[in-house]
Amino acid sequence: MTSQTILLVEDNPDDEALTLRAFEKSNIRNEVVVLRDGAEALAYLFPGDGDGAPRPALILLDLNLPKVGGLEVLRRMRTDERTRLIPVVVLTSSKLDEDILDSYRSGANAYVRKPVRFSDFADAVRALGVFWLRLNEPAPGPGPESD
Amino acid sequence: MFVALLEAMPDALVCIAADGRIALVNAQAERLFGYERGELIGQPVEILVPDAARAAHAGHRAGYVADPRHRPMGAGLSLAGRRRDASTFAAEISLSAIDTDEGILVAAAIRDVTAQLRMKDLEVSNQGLESFIYTVSHDLRAPLRSLSGYSELLLEEYGGVLGEEGRGYAERIVAVSEHMGQLIDYLLQYSRVSRAELNLQPVDLGEEAALIAEEIRRRDPLRRICFTIAKPVQALADRRLIRTVLQNLLDNAWKFTFGRDDTSIDFGTVPNGYATVCCYVRDNGVGFDPAYEGKLFQPFQRLHAARDFPGTGTGLASVRQIVERHGGHVWAEGTVGAGATFYFTLDEKESA
Repeated sequence: MTSQTILLVEDNPDDEALTLRAFEKSNIRNEVVVLRDGAEALAYLFPGDGDGAPRPALILLDLNLPKVGGLEVLRRMRTDERTRLIPVVVLTSSKLDEDILDSYRSGANAYVRKPVRFSDFADAVRALGVFWLRLNEPAPGPGPESD
Repeated sequence: MFVALLEAMPDALVCIAADGRIALVNAQAERLFGYERGELIGQPVEILVPDAARAAHAGHRAGYVADPRHRPMGAGLSLAGRRRDASTFAAEISLSAIDTDEGILVAAAIRDVTAQLRMKDLEVSNQGLESFIYTVSHDLRAPLRSLSGYSELLLEEYGGVLGEEGRGYAERIVAVSEHMGQLIDYLLQYSRVSRAELNLQPVDLGEEAALIAEEIRRRDPLRRICFTIAKPVQALADRRLIRTVLQNLLDNAWKFTFGRDDTSIDFGTVPNGYATVCCYVRDNGVGFDPAYEGKLFQPFQRLHAARDFPGTGTGLASVRQIVERHGGHVWAEGTVGAGATFYFTLDEKESA
C-alpha cells in the first residue's frame, strides 16, 4: 500500500470535524480514515488474515477513547511487526506528565496537546503534516511478499 | 516504681484481674474514659466496652487468658472504647499479661485513634477531589475547543455575512474561550501540584532567577530592565515547582512595571528567624493597595483591570500553593504607584 493515508483515531465528532478542517486549510490532501474508538482502530490495523492490512503513513491517536484506550492501541501496534514502525502522534487534551511519559514509553513518536484556539490547532496540524508526510523519511516498507 | 511507670505511659492503661474486674488504671485511662479511678476499680472491664461488643467481650477475654501473649487486640477489627457518658471512640488496644502473686493481670494499653482515622478519611477524600478536578478540567477542554474552533470558522468563512458587530461577537467568543482555557489549565496545575510528590534537592534559587531574568530580557529586548539578583541562594526545593514560583513572581514584576523606562527588579533574601530561607522579589511598578493584600493570592482574583494588565489571576495562587507545599508562606508589601515586594519562605520550623 503506497498511498499516504492518514489514520485519525478520535471519538469526539467536533474534534474530528475541526481536525479535518485543519487538514483542508493546510492543503493536506491525503486520504484521511477516521475511526472512533480503540477497538475500531485495532480491527482496522489487524484485519482477520494478514493480507492487505492497511499501512497508514501517519496515525493521529487520541488517548481517551471508548472501548480500547489509545495507549493500549499503541502498545499492541508496537508489539506487532506489521505496525511496529508506523509513525504515531498522540494528539490529546491531556498535558499530564504521566500521560506524556506513558505515551513515549508505549512507543509514541510524538506527543501534541490540542490547543484551545483553532488557529493554533490548525498550525499544529499543518506542522505535523509537513514534518511526517513530507520531511520525515519513513522506514522502508517490507519487500514483495513471498510465501 | 511500677505505678510510677504506669503513670508515665502516654497511653491509657487498664489492668484486669483474672475475674475480669479492673484492678488498676492510670491517669490517662481516667481522662480517656471520663471516670474517677475509684469508680473503675473492682468493676467488670466490660463497662469500658461499647454496648454492642459487650456480650462477646467476656468470651474473648477468657480466650486471651488461656493464651496470654503480648499482642494487639482484635487484629483486623475496628475497636472502640466506651466513655462514661456512653459515647464511644475509635481505639487501638494492645494486650500483655503480667504474672503477679494474685494471679495473672492482663494489661490493656488503649489509644484513642479518632483523629488519625479522621485524617486518613480526609486524605482519601482529598485524593478523590483532586482526581475529580483533574477529570473535570480535562473534559471541559474538549467542548471549549469546539466553541472556539467553530467561532473562528464562522469568522473565517462567514465573516462577510456577519457584519462588523457579528464579527465582534464571534471574536469575543474566541477570546473568552481562550481565557477559560487558561482557567482550566490553572485547575489542572492546581490538582497536579497538590498530588505531586515533592522531589526535594539542593537548588540555587538565585541561579534559577537569573535564568528566568535572561528569558524575560530575550522576550522583551526593547525595554530597559535593571535586574539585581543575589547569588547563590541555596535551598532545598523541588526544582520544577520552585521555578514556577520564581517565574510567576518575576513575570509579574515585569508585567506590572510596564511603561516605566527605569524598571528595576530585584531578587534577594532577608534574614528570617523561622525559616531556612526567606526570599523576595521587588519591583518599582504600579504597586497595589495594601488593603487587598489578602486577595492577591486567591485564585481568579485580580486587582488590576484586564485591559491594563492581562492575566488570569492564577499566578500568585499557584505561588502560594507551591510555597505552602514546601512548608513556607508568602506575603506581599506594596503601595499604589510605588512598587511591590513579594516575600516567600521555605521550610519553616514547626514551632514558629
